[in-house]
Amino acid sequence: MRKLSMLAVTALIFAACAGGAPATSQGPTSTEADIDITGPVSITLWHALTSDPQKGALEAAVKKFNDTNGKGITVTAVVQGNYTQLYQKTLGAIQAGALPELAHAYESFVADYTKADVVVDLDAYVNSKKNGLDKAQQDDIYKPYFDTNRFAQYGNKLLSFPFTKSLFVMYQNDDVLKQAGVSAPKSWADFEQAVMKTTVKDASGKTTRYGWAQPLDASNFNAWVLSMGGGLMAPDGKTVAWDGKEGLTTLQLMDRLWKGGYAYTPTGFDWQNDFANSKLAFTMGSTSSRPFIAAAAKTPFSWTIGAPPQTDPTKARTVMYGANVAIFKSTPQKQLASWLFVKWFSEKEQTADWATKSYYMTVRKSAADDSALKSYWSSKDPQGKQAFDVIASSIPEPNVRGQQEIRDVIFDMLQKVTTGKATPEQAIKDGGAKANQILKENQ
Amino acid sequence: MRPARARWSGSVGKHLVLILTSVLVAYPFYFMLNTSLKSFFEATTVPPTFFPTEGLRLDNYAEAWSKAPWPRYFANTLLVAGANTLGELVTAVLAAYAFARMQFRGKNVLFALFLATYMMPGEATLIPNFVMMSKAPPGTNPLFPIPRLNLYDTYWAQILPFLASAFSVFLLRQQFLAVPQELHDAARIDGAGHVRFLWSIVLPISVPALVTVAIISFYGSWNAFQWPLIVTSNPDIRPIQVGLNAFRAEAGSSYHLLMAAAAFCVAPIVLLYLVGQRYLVQGVARTGIRG
Amino acid sequence: MSVRVIPIGERRELASRRRAAVENVSAYLFLLPAVVFITVFKILPALYAIYISFFKWDIIQGPFRGLANYSDVLWADETRASRFWQSLSTTFTYLVITIPLEMGFALIVAYVLFQKLRGRAIYRTLYYLPYVTSTVAAAAVFNWIYHPQYGTLNQLIGLFGIGPQRWLEEPDGVFTMIASSIGATLPAWSAGPSLALVSVAGFSIWHFLGFQILIFLGGLGNIPAEYYEAAKLDGAGNRLLFTRITLPLLSPQIFFVFTIACIGVLRAFNEFFVLTNGGPLDTTRTVSLLVFRTFFQQGQIGYGSALGVILTLIILAFTLLQFRVLERRVHYG
Repeated sequence: MRKLSMLAVTALIFAACAGGAPATSQGPTSTEADIDITGPVSITLWHALTSDPQKGALEAAVKKFNDTNGKGITVTAVVQGNYTQLYQKTLGAIQAGALPELAHAYESFVADYTKADVVVDLDAYVNSKKNGLDKAQQDDIYKPYFDTNRFAQYGNKLLSFPFTKSLFVMYQNDDVLKQAGVSAPKSWADFEQAVMKTTVKDASGKTTRYGWAQPLDASNFNAWVLSMGGGLMAPDGKTVAWDGKEGLTTLQLMDRLWKGGYAYTPTGFDWQNDFANSKLAFTMGSTSSRPFIAAAAKTPFSWTIGAPPQTDPTKARTVMYGANVAIFKSTPQKQLASWLFVKWFSEKEQTADWATKSYYMTVRKSAADDSALKSYWSSKDPQGKQAFDVIASSIPEPNVRGQQEIRDVIFDMLQKVTTGKATPEQAIKDGGAKANQILKENQ
Repeated sequence: MRPARARWSGSVGKHLVLILTSVLVAYPFYFMLNTSLKSFFEATTVPPTFFPTEGLRLDNYAEAWSKAPWPRYFANTLLVAGANTLGELVTAVLAAYAFARMQFRGKNVLFALFLATYMMPGEATLIPNFVMMSKAPPGTNPLFPIPRLNLYDTYWAQILPFLASAFSVFLLRQQFLAVPQELHDAARIDGAGHVRFLWSIVLPISVPALVTVAIISFYGSWNAFQWPLIVTSNPDIRPIQVGLNAFRAEAGSSYHLLMAAAAFCVAPIVLLYLVGQRYLVQGVARTGIRG
Repeated sequence: MSVRVIPIGERRELASRRRAAVENVSAYLFLLPAVVFITVFKILPALYAIYISFFKWDIIQGPFRGLANYSDVLWADETRASRFWQSLSTTFTYLVITIPLEMGFALIVAYVLFQKLRGRAIYRTLYYLPYVTSTVAAAAVFNWIYHPQYGTLNQLIGLFGIGPQRWLEEPDGVFTMIASSIGATLPAWSAGPSLALVSVAGFSIWHFLGFQILIFLGGLGNIPAEYYEAAKLDGAGNRLLFTRITLPLLSPQIFFVFTIACIGVLRAFNEFFVLTNGGPLDTTRTVSLLVFRTFFQQGQIGYGSALGVILTLIILAFTLLQFRVLERRVHYG
């Protein structure tokens, strides 16, 4: 059995070398997914949760799995740095032939890993009669979370599974808003006004307190384009759609606010400190930043989380954040063990527990009814519930090959506009052209 | 050489230059220690304070130490640096002795070979060395065209490429050439072969040079970053510099912890330097004077 | 039965030939470990680099491409070529900023230090300290010093009335910035190196200062005092002493430091990786970083190898040029 898959993999690699066509993976047959664990298995999970509480929460979950799985499966979680470092390390490991059994990965990472045909197709495992999820369980997982892990370029296979999901939201410091007499903005027009009103400048016109601090990231941009009603990719997946009027509007807004001294780009995670100490009114980012903000506050303050500003507040849209987990090809035993861990992690009890400890979102709808989670939200983490309510509006980012590189293009675009090196019109045109070129190369 | 009675203003100018330079050189160290003893809130106060105002937070060091497997990182580095230093010494001593005190065919050709590798920058060899350390993809030949040693993420990958250094060979060759010929003749008359001569006579009188080579090699291993970065991934195998780089991401905005970590990473080498600087300075001067 | 009596001369010759053969073998054995490691890990990889650069090689080896990787990187592929030439320009700009400042500073300090007999050892020990500190740790500290908000450098320049700068995150050219502070504007091409690049240069200068001072000190020690005495008797002032005696007789060390420093700058990686990782807006992306990124972040080792070979050739050519042009000006005492 193993020899056959080896041969198949070899043939596919040669085919890939010759034609450069995407290697469609021959996933494990249904017999591979339906086996039993026959003996002790050790597997390694690479992840990018570098700090507590998330790191500790994952390690606690892993320990619980190791102690309770009863099948002799031992998981070791290894942190590989931040997501970029994890991506580099995994690429290096693919080249070196030294992959772990499973790894934390964004969809764009998986699209690239699959070029080397090292990722396991999870459909067989999910649908396995013996070890998979039944229909009710599959429906319980938020459909967007499933969909984002299906890759159209690879025949819509499920190549990764939701793991540490979060979403892009807007943080507002209610104390600052109250002090400035500004009400919570829901539309982009209101938001721009609110940022300007909450900015404090001194007599010489220098800004002493900014209204908005925004770390630059491609996902932020994608979220804004979506919130303005735009799309990210053309339906045929061959060109980008974010270089249209919504993208331009976004860049123009940023251009105005940065140039006017109302908003700025912070260094690293320092925006968390500023926000928590009321030196900022607004910031936007992942829901998983909540614990860091809370820890950075010298004195308690009042803050809210909600969807980012919308062009049409009734049809709120934002970007789904957070990463998934991919299982790499190894032996049937190790693959199954990895799947069993992933499955366990997504079960209602675990995912609710995970949400309270790590500040990530649960992957199942039914977990929201978990009493422990509910009481946690109401007593310790009201922002968690606010974040949870936005999940329904979250949309996945493109998961095509080359998306990782396109993210760099978007980041450059944002940086050029906010440092005044390019006009919004130039930047969006440039960015769109570069991105389309990358997509073309990766067809 | 001392200039005749320097003018008073000239002397002040000189002192100023030296003191200013000293301040510039020392300031980053001071700021590192300064920040490492502050609390998180004080470290992120604007403007920064020149001295911790809330007492010296020595527990930052304990906290930084507990947040990453530093003992393992240090152990890994000691192991790799020790093996490298020892290996490099052995191969360099043997090769240098052969060049300095033996006659053989092809001596010039081989010397030119060593010279060539000395001039060869690392950029070109980074990628192929990485490929050599990796595992051959299934179905391809593990020896041709590029041998695959399958040593990715092991100590060997960090040790093997550095077991021979042309620089050390040159340094020791200079040293061995300077051994008086009479000693060699006397030993030969006593019936001692090369091995005995090397071991009993040449090495003992070359101890300063050997120590220089050892220190330079150890220091290079301790501070190695780019190669271990790409060739290790498991924290169990990781050396200090890669661990510190990873800690930059792990510490996030806890700069006080990052500075503490930087401090205890830097401390051992600084100590070693202060103790062994005589040899280091000599070694460097030795390479410099000949131009 | 005839016994050939071997004349004594011939016997000695035979014996010595045998000794020579034994010595040959011993020598080869002595050299074997070093030669093996050098061949396997330095010489062969250099050849492999060239081999790899002839293939399309992303994560797995692809088809043979001849020199196509090189032509892509140098002119054919617009994105790659513009990236390469921009990185090359950044690298040489960095060279021009760093080396003169580094060496000038080191020379002055070494000269002053040399004349001071008391406390010289202490100063020397202190100045060399940055050089033995690991670049990763030192760069992490400099990241902190250069921090736009919490860093101490902004605090210091604030004392002189200059507003806070973004240092390692500032993509604007320094000339443009200086011009705009006096209300002038400069054309785009004269913007100059980015403040970020200059900030990295600042780190380099700090790091290498002690090493260069040490070498210059050694060289100064070689200049016989009689030359100075004689010149002073002839009435030469300090400036003439420096330019006519010190500099020429120090030229071997100056040449050595210049060569080594240039090679070091062209290869620099650690500090760039930790301080800026090529940003902001790629204004600190040197060829060394480009090689690393192509290899490690994009997994394209065919292109990466080609870039590595090109970088190696550039360094070799540059060093050879230095030897040809400058070495004849060196006075060997």
